[in-house]
Amino acid sequence: MTPAELHFTEQHEWARVEGDVATVGISDYAQNALGDITFVELPIVGAELAKGDEACAIESAKAAASIYAPLSGKVTEVNEQIEDDPGLINTDAYAEGWIYKLRLADPSQVDSLMDAAKYEGFLAEQGDH
Amino acid sequence: MSSKTPLYERHLTLGGRVVDFAGWMLPVQYEGVLAEHKHCRTSAVVFDTSHMGQFLIRGPEAEKQIMRVGTQDARAMAPGDCRYGFLLNPDAGVIDDTILMRLGADSFLLVVNAATAAGDFHWISEHLDGDAGITNRLSEGWGKIDLQGPLSARVLQPMLNINLTVMDYYTAARGECCGRSCIIARTGYTGELGYEIMAPAADLQLIFDELLGRAEVKPAGLGARDSLRLEMGYPLYGHEHSVDNNPIEAGMGGFIRPEGDFIGSRAIDSLTEAPGPNTLIAFRAESRRRTNPGDEILWDGRPVGLVTSGAFSPSLEVSIGLGYVRSELNEPGRQLLVRTARCELPVIVEKKPLYRNGTCRTKQPL
Repeated sequence: MTPAELHFTEQHEWARVEGDVATVGISDYAQNALGDITFVELPIVGAELAKGDEACAIESAKAAASIYAPLSGKVTEVNEQIEDDPGLINTDAYAEGWIYKLRLADPSQVDSLMDAAKYEGFLAEQGDH
Repeated sequence: MSSKTPLYERHLTLGGRVVDFAGWMLPVQYEGVLAEHKHCRTSAVVFDTSHMGQFLIRGPEAEKQIMRVGTQDARAMAPGDCRYGFLLNPDAGVIDDTILMRLGADSFLLVVNAATAAGDFHWISEHLDGDAGITNRLSEGWGKIDLQGPLSARVLQPMLNINLTVMDYYTAARGECCGRSCIIARTGYTGELGYEIMAPAADLQLIFDELLGRAEVKPAGLGARDSLRLEMGYPLYGHEHSVDNNPIEAGMGGFIRPEGDFIGSRAIDSLTEAPGPNTLIAFRAESRRRTNPGDEILWDGRPVGLVTSGAFSPSLEVSIGLGYVRSELNEPGRQLLVRTARCELPVIVEKKPLYRNGTCRTKQPL
């Protein structure tokens, strides 16, 4: 269920790391918890983010949440499709629902994240499936 | 300790996400707020509204007593008529907004909000001063469901012994649904054609199951209920109405009977002659970004009001809301700013309803 190549934070962000570029989104667990996503305030291209910085904001029909940078880097691209169709995050959180890309300051920082199996264990511990 | 409605177990079976609302366990959504909202506007949905107060007021003086505590012109109501109105305090502060239904010469049903129901019952009981009594139907095990959507009459007709073709908007009747006695009112809170069905618990459960057995019908929760009513510009108690607000500034003086002595009538007369500084407006943004209750409204750099309700509108696909602002700014097309937590959002004043294709008043329900 959870794509094996992704890495995760405890705040339910995922990163797909390819060389020194990471694609970032929120997990299926997170989109389900938020409910129908109605608005995404995308990060600014060119912004320098440190791991743990607030990267962007998401609103759903009944909630609002901040999304944090899983790794340090510079925002190189944002998914403009989700501005008009934020529901893509709900329907396809790991592919079409990607939010932004980072050029990583330190690719080895990915070791600080959970791999897919660890994240699933983390969710199970929280009492969720 | 939260209360369960007669339909609680069904909400769980249907996958509803149940939360506490006004002391009741109710679903905020099942499939999703956006899907449920859209289904209401295009087909039919059922809401569990058993948390809402239902007061039977009966006796030879029922009409007279109701006209003392409430603003509806009960004398002008024939059996079967329904009217929207208010319970006011002496300062014309809104204790609750209500729908009054006349069931007979000496018999009325008053439907009130859940959060205020206990207070309303107490208030009315204290002020009854004549040959009329009040009963709380919920303590007798009654509940309510709202069937709403353009296909609702088509779905309901085969189950009902009342001819829906001749049931006008804002009328009510005793009837038999699925062979069970109930009260049906052609009222609702979505702007779509719809019917509120009141019945004792076991009968309500049967009716709910029958309705959901129809392919056209889906269950809908509190989330969709709020986005639907907001698209219509309908007020929500605790947001647009409160004891700190009056119906005149909410733009609802037209629902109040112009003559007679009801609690708050003198204050209403004063306010009608000399209204306060603010008016309730509806607004929309160009953005999807939501505004929230309490957000400041700005014009020309100055604070001029506050948001009372805000949400994303699934039908219009932008952010919409309601709020009180200085009355001179109540002009469709006027540009204002809302100071949200993250930015200043440009909005435009609009006439209500924001959504204009609602079917609630259709003359051809079937």
